[in-house]
Amino acid sequence: MSLAAGHSQSAIPGARFMDPTVLARIGNLDLVARAVVDGFINGMHKAPYFGASVDFAEHRGYVPGDDIRRVDWKLWARTDRYYVKEYEAESNSNFSVLLDVSKSMNYGSGGITKLDYARILTACLTNLVHHQRDRVGLVTFDNDVVSFVPSSAKHMDVVLHTLENVTAGRPGSLKLPLQKLAEHFGRRGVLVVISDFYEEPDAVIDAIAPLRFRGNDLIVFHVLDKAELEFGFSDASAFEDLETGEQMPVVPDAFRKEYQSLVRAHTDALQQRFLANRVDYTVLDTSKPLDHALYRYLSSRLRMMKVR
Amino acid sequence: MAFLAPLFFLGLAALAVPVLIHLTQREKKMVQQFPSLMFVRRIPYQTVRRRKIRDLALLMVRLAALLLIIAAFARPFLWRPDAAITIGPGAREVVVLLDQSYSMAYGDRWDRAKAAARDAINKLGAADKGSVVLFSSGADIALRSTAERDRLIASFSTVTTSPGATRYGPALKVAGSILAESPLPRREVILISDFQRNGWRGEEGSRLPTGTTVTPVMVGGPADKPDAAVTSVSLARSTFSDQERMTVTAAVANRTDTPVTADTLSLEIGGRGVQTQPLTIAPNGSASIVFAPFTVPSRNMRLSVRAGNDALPTDNAFYFVVSPATPVRIIVVDSGTKAGAGLYLTRALSIGDAPRFETVLRQPANVSDDDLRRASVVLLNDVDVTTGLGRRLGRFVQDGGGLFVAAGPRATWPQEADVLPATLSQPIDRSRGESGRVGALEYTHPVFEVFRAPRSGDFSSARFYAYRSVTAAPMSQVLARFDAGTPALVERKLGSGRVLLWASTLDLSWSDLPLKPVFLPFIQRSMIHLANYSEPAPWRTVGQVFDPAAAGAKSQASGRLALTPSGKRMPLEDEGSQSQVLELAEQGFYEIRGQKANSDVTVVASNVDPAESDLTALDPREIVAAATGGTVANGQSAASDVPLTPDAQERSQRLWWYLLCAGIVLLGTDTLFSNWLSKT
Repeated sequence: MSLAAGHSQSAIPGARFMDPTVLARIGNLDLVARAVVDGFINGMHKAPYFGASVDFAEHRGYVPGDDIRRVDWKLWARTDRYYVKEYEAESNSNFSVLLDVSKSMNYGSGGITKLDYARILTACLTNLVHHQRDRVGLVTFDNDVVSFVPSSAKHMDVVLHTLENVTAGRPGSLKLPLQKLAEHFGRRGVLVVISDFYEEPDAVIDAIAPLRFRGNDLIVFHVLDKAELEFGFSDASAFEDLETGEQMPVVPDAFRKEYQSLVRAHTDALQQRFLANRVDYTVLDTSKPLDHALYRYLSSRLRMMKVR
Repeated sequence: MAFLAPLFFLGLAALAVPVLIHLTQREKKMVQQFPSLMFVRRIPYQTVRRRKIRDLALLMVRLAALLLIIAAFARPFLWRPDAAITIGPGAREVVVLLDQSYSMAYGDRWDRAKAAARDAINKLGAADKGSVVLFSSGADIALRSTAERDRLIASFSTVTTSPGATRYGPALKVAGSILAESPLPRREVILISDFQRNGWRGEEGSRLPTGTTVTPVMVGGPADKPDAAVTSVSLARSTFSDQERMTVTAAVANRTDTPVTADTLSLEIGGRGVQTQPLTIAPNGSASIVFAPFTVPSRNMRLSVRAGNDALPTDNAFYFVVSPATPVRIIVVDSGTKAGAGLYLTRALSIGDAPRFETVLRQPANVSDDDLRRASVVLLNDVDVTTGLGRRLGRFVQDGGGLFVAAGPRATWPQEADVLPATLSQPIDRSRGESGRVGALEYTHPVFEVFRAPRSGDFSSARFYAYRSVTAAPMSQVLARFDAGTPALVERKLGSGRVLLWASTLDLSWSDLPLKPVFLPFIQRSMIHLANYSEPAPWRTVGQVFDPAAAGAKSQASGRLALTPSGKRMPLEDEGSQSQVLELAEQGFYEIRGQKANSDVTVVASNVDPAESDLTALDPREIVAAATGGTVANGQSAASDVPLTPDAQERSQRLWWYLLCAGIVLLGTDTLFSNWLSKT
């Protein structure tokens, strides 16, 4: 079996540090996350979002009950009115990653599995938002909720520890665990769902859409292996479903075009439906560097901030 | 549905084998793990689908084939309680054993026997089946297990009695084999015979299947008609006016209760009566009739002694073949330097006429090739053998001749000719002290066999004052040893002939053996053994097997055939030119010859077994009891009350046969199917 090898190098400086295969060998997620985020940030000196959360946002009129320490005395001196300064930093949100740890995520045709990729991605995102003083949390699920780390500014280590110990062991299903989580995430926040989404698009939307009902910002990363995208197998053999164990004789050469079109149709359908539900959706190829995902995340955040 | 052997269903465990093979093969396939077959499943790739279905079909075919074969071994049958009504409780398998021995020709026995057989067959029911077995010394199935009564009757209507003697054992065994294969519930044997006592020799392992009814039909009766049977002849040779003559004495027996009177006994030569003697025999008596001597001018003279017609004509004739006595020609090679050296030897060989020895005395230098061609044995009486003579004698032995070497003080043998069974060494002098004696003898050897019985000859009485020390060759056999252990007589087979080496002299110079009574038989037996002489049998008995090759028939040319007494020609070689034996089935003269006109002819006389002329009968119940295991049936079967057994039902249906055929067909289909699949 051979896959079309070769990872395309990112044009972004420092992306070489983000090769998922290399990162997977490091093992320590904290170190990986730091390396990725620092490298990413070093390559994005002009990123307008760094430190934005501690920047001044706007003034508003003082109302009884406001902390007088937040009164802008200089403006009072000029206008003789009490204004309170509001900073972005004050709008720290909950950031939770909903990570699919079903058995199908344990697949990797190259040097890294989808789950490892997702873990690194989760660690990087968490590290990134932790730098922004956001509260970080983590939920892993397969056909039920496996582990739950509530969002907290102090939970970065817990999140990393949980990520370290996560394993993919059971078949997955989106509906039940996400239904539970939708009820839980009552406070507005940012939810990132990372999964391979081996369900019908309508079923995926039905499961994920409720997460938005309470005002959560939703970012979806659809993690797929290169082999899942391109179906680059050559020998006819029996293909075994990782989750069900079902086997099926497959002649890859005969299947390839049909398969690629089906996968494309699937991702297009997801894209279309997520767009309709104002969910940011990104397909991630595990053979590609992580900066795509981070860039996608930050772009999404920017867009949402502009909308707001 | 029921099964006769349900334990075979344990073989159903074998059904797991194809499944295991299937699973094993699946495990051996290259398996590619993939996150989800969600998209693959949607791809309509029909070849893959069909292959899966075909594999399943292949598995099903294999399982079905195994299942059918196992079911066949379990012997299934449809249990039908009314089967007895369908087949009928009286359905019988009847085997008619019809005695065809020549004693059945006595009076009207044969006609009555055939009438009894016809009667038995006519009594067969519509569902019955019958078989006809004709027997005498052997048994032949004339017609096997059929319901066609006309064919059954026709199978023996034109048959006559055979020259064979009565033997009940083979007939009962054949009947047992027929009954054992029959699906019918009732089995019956009808034995039609004159029940001669000579034909029954105990049980003979002829037990019939359980439940068989034996119905004896006695067609004998009082032996109230005279029957003169020529049982044997004795031949006495004599010489008159340098011509060999023969006197025939015929033994004639009358085993009936009626005297043989006013009858004649004639001697025929070549089919023509030459002498006739009156014949009168008392009831249950015998007589010896001596015919006048006649000259035996040629080989293979066909003679017969024949009594007049009586109630049993088959045993009236007795056939035999006579030829002039063939002498054993011996060349005694003697140096002639010592007077009387061969005296005892030639005297010993001049006595006797069975066989007669014809000796020719030659000096070593005078032994011609013509002498060797005519002779059967060459006896070297203490002579110095030259290389040329040694080689010629070697060729003579290779071609089937016999060589006797008496190794005295002058005997030498050239080393160039490897003929002798032992190497000669220096003489051993036993003249001082105790003389030597012959100790151990090989009594199983033809030379010493006549001395085997006690007081049949004592070699130890002979004293040896000297003898040659010899060392036996590896492939030779020491037949006698001196008391000191050295070989006295050594034999070696060389080619088609034999060589005997005697380590002493045959005169009185080294021993007194020639003065002992054992000398003459020792010399004569040695010559007969070396000449490979055997007296041809003047006659044989019907039923015996004659081997032309073993009997020394001269017609060695290819395409040898036998002319039977009835005039039939029988080739005696099969397709591979292998010699065949001749079974003597007729009474009279068999002639064995090559296909060429001038080829040698061998004539064999065949006579009926004289014991068959003894018409004494035994109680048929003795045979019935032995054949049925001790229960003597009264001829009435109780089978009508016996329900049809599962075994009988299964035999009548034979479903296993169809299942087995179907299983084999399926296995063939499986082979073709799997081959085709492997190619696609």
